[in-house]
Amino acid sequence: MNEAPTAQTPAESAGYQFLSGRLTRPVDDRVVAGVGGGIAARLGIPAAYVRAAIISLSVAGGAGLILYGVVWVGAPDDEQYGSIVTAEHPASRRQQIGLGLGFVAVLLILESVGLWFGGMVWPITLLAFGGALVWERSSVESRTRLTSLANAGKPRSRVQIVIGASLMAAGIVVILTSLDSFQSLGPVAIAVLLTAVGFMLVFGPWVLGLFNDLSKERHARIRSEERAELAAHLHDSVLQTLALIQRSDSAQHMTTLARAQERDLRTWLFAPDRDHAGETVGEAVTAAAAKVEAAFDVPIEVVVVGDRQALGESPALIAATAEAMTNAAEHSQAQQVSVYVECTDDAVEAWITDQGTGFDIDAVDEDRRGITESIVARMRRAGGTAEIISSEGTGTEVHLRTGTP
Amino acid sequence: MTIAIYLVDDHELFLSGVRAELTERFELAGWSSDVDDAIDGIRSTHPDVVLVDVHMPGGGGLAVIGNVLETNPDTKFLALSVSDAPEDVIAMIRSGARGYVTKSIAPNDLADAVERVAAGDAVFSPRLAGFVLDAFSDVMPVDADPELDALTPREREVLRQIAKGYAYKQVATRLSISVKTVETHVSAVLRKLQLSNRHELARWATERRIV
Repeated sequence: MNEAPTAQTPAESAGYQFLSGRLTRPVDDRVVAGVGGGIAARLGIPAAYVRAAIISLSVAGGAGLILYGVVWVGAPDDEQYGSIVTAEHPASRRQQIGLGLGFVAVLLILESVGLWFGGMVWPITLLAFGGALVWERSSVESRTRLTSLANAGKPRSRVQIVIGASLMAAGIVVILTSLDSFQSLGPVAIAVLLTAVGFMLVFGPWVLGLFNDLSKERHARIRSEERAELAAHLHDSVLQTLALIQRSDSAQHMTTLARAQERDLRTWLFAPDRDHAGETVGEAVTAAAAKVEAAFDVPIEVVVVGDRQALGESPALIAATAEAMTNAAEHSQAQQVSVYVECTDDAVEAWITDQGTGFDIDAVDEDRRGITESIVARMRRAGGTAEIISSEGTGTEVHLRTGTP
Repeated sequence: MTIAIYLVDDHELFLSGVRAELTERFELAGWSSDVDDAIDGIRSTHPDVVLVDVHMPGGGGLAVIGNVLETNPDTKFLALSVSDAPEDVIAMIRSGARGYVTKSIAPNDLADAVERVAAGDAVFSPRLAGFVLDAFSDVMPVDADPELDALTPREREVLRQIAKGYAYKQVATRLSISVKTVETHVSAVLRKLQLSNRHELARWATERRIV
């Protein structure tokens, strides 16, 4: 025998594949637990034949059931590779004949050992393999169109279907002649039964395939819609921002753009679909902060505790918060402005803090107090309070508070 | 003694950036971009502080922290993530991280955070302080342990100052206490966050996916 690996006989390579490869139970091709599909994938033959063999062996003293159970326990669920193996290693004609002869040998051994339940084994084997032949062929045809099956497709398919049907018919006749109780059913019932089985075998794969195709198509459509939505959003936002960043020459401006984009993307990715019952205090403050940030290139960190729906008194507080943020961003020269909002049952409070230059409130001229006054006056009108604590060099803290009416 | 750090992040670009920033002040014990590698690497190099990303294939930061703490309970973790979603933050802290900072943190602040974690203290960003205040603001659960399931007024006040954006030192000045006391309060809050039995904590985090 030649020692070069290329000179292996097909049977040897098939055996090698079977022993070395991982035997798994395919998820997408199973009748009971995927044992038949898994073995078929490893051997490179259609699953229908393996299933027929398992049925036959089960009738013959239960050997098929034992085999099935062993493989079921031993072989893990396949995640995705099972069907690919079949496509890559179709068994050659010689391998197929070899496997068939092996199967018959097993049956004969079982018979000689005495592991045999009556005379039903051979007819059921005929029936199973005839059915497998028809099923396998018509499932091949169903991948194209049902019409091509009606036109009898390729001659090979037609021959196989006829052979399969004949094997089945022979099997059924043998069973019927050996069973007295069936004959009492009457010829009409038998004919109906035969027709039903025949229809199931011929059209079954096609109907199954149709269902599979439909659900696959639906999934594909949903996926492509989601992808289109994602692509559109990324194009409108992220790509535009990246282009802007490339054209920007100030590091501060780049940071602002990046932060704004980050916030936008976060909202889009993680925000739950809200029923638009109204904005919350936190959302309003965050939106205001984004505007100030964009206008003055100063990052604003917003932390909200106990967020809830904006009520009657909130707009004044939100507007005053926005004003205080603008002041801090514009005048304080701080690297960052912090906003902390706390909503409790009886009040909404906001602290706007910067660690910038600060100012001496008492030393500010009357006519330049406009902005701070407007914050204080606005809060007072809304029945709240505003307190500004600042001194030169330590930064500024603005504390706003409104009680719930 | 120089603090030995170990970096875990599946984002190579970010990993090399942080590495460059931190090697000036710290000794780099190693780095990894893979969960299983990281667990082995941390066990064999015994770093003082591990900077760990939250979202990684193969279980993410939670898997790293959980596995390492089983064998090396003294390892300290600082979670570092782009995500500031409450459920991520709370999950990392409850699994044993001593701090949580977002990746947008300034290099100096990150280095300070590493030192603080190495010293056994907790690192709370303003946002994390906000989450904790939020999570512990609800009504106490019926079967609550008052030792663990509520914040003391002082702890609450410290957290509010942190949420307002003040550094530990400023918080100390503002509340007229020592920095050490601030650190003690924050560590106590961290312990409550990790040990508290509040069932709401998990529910709270998942309800507020966006802040």
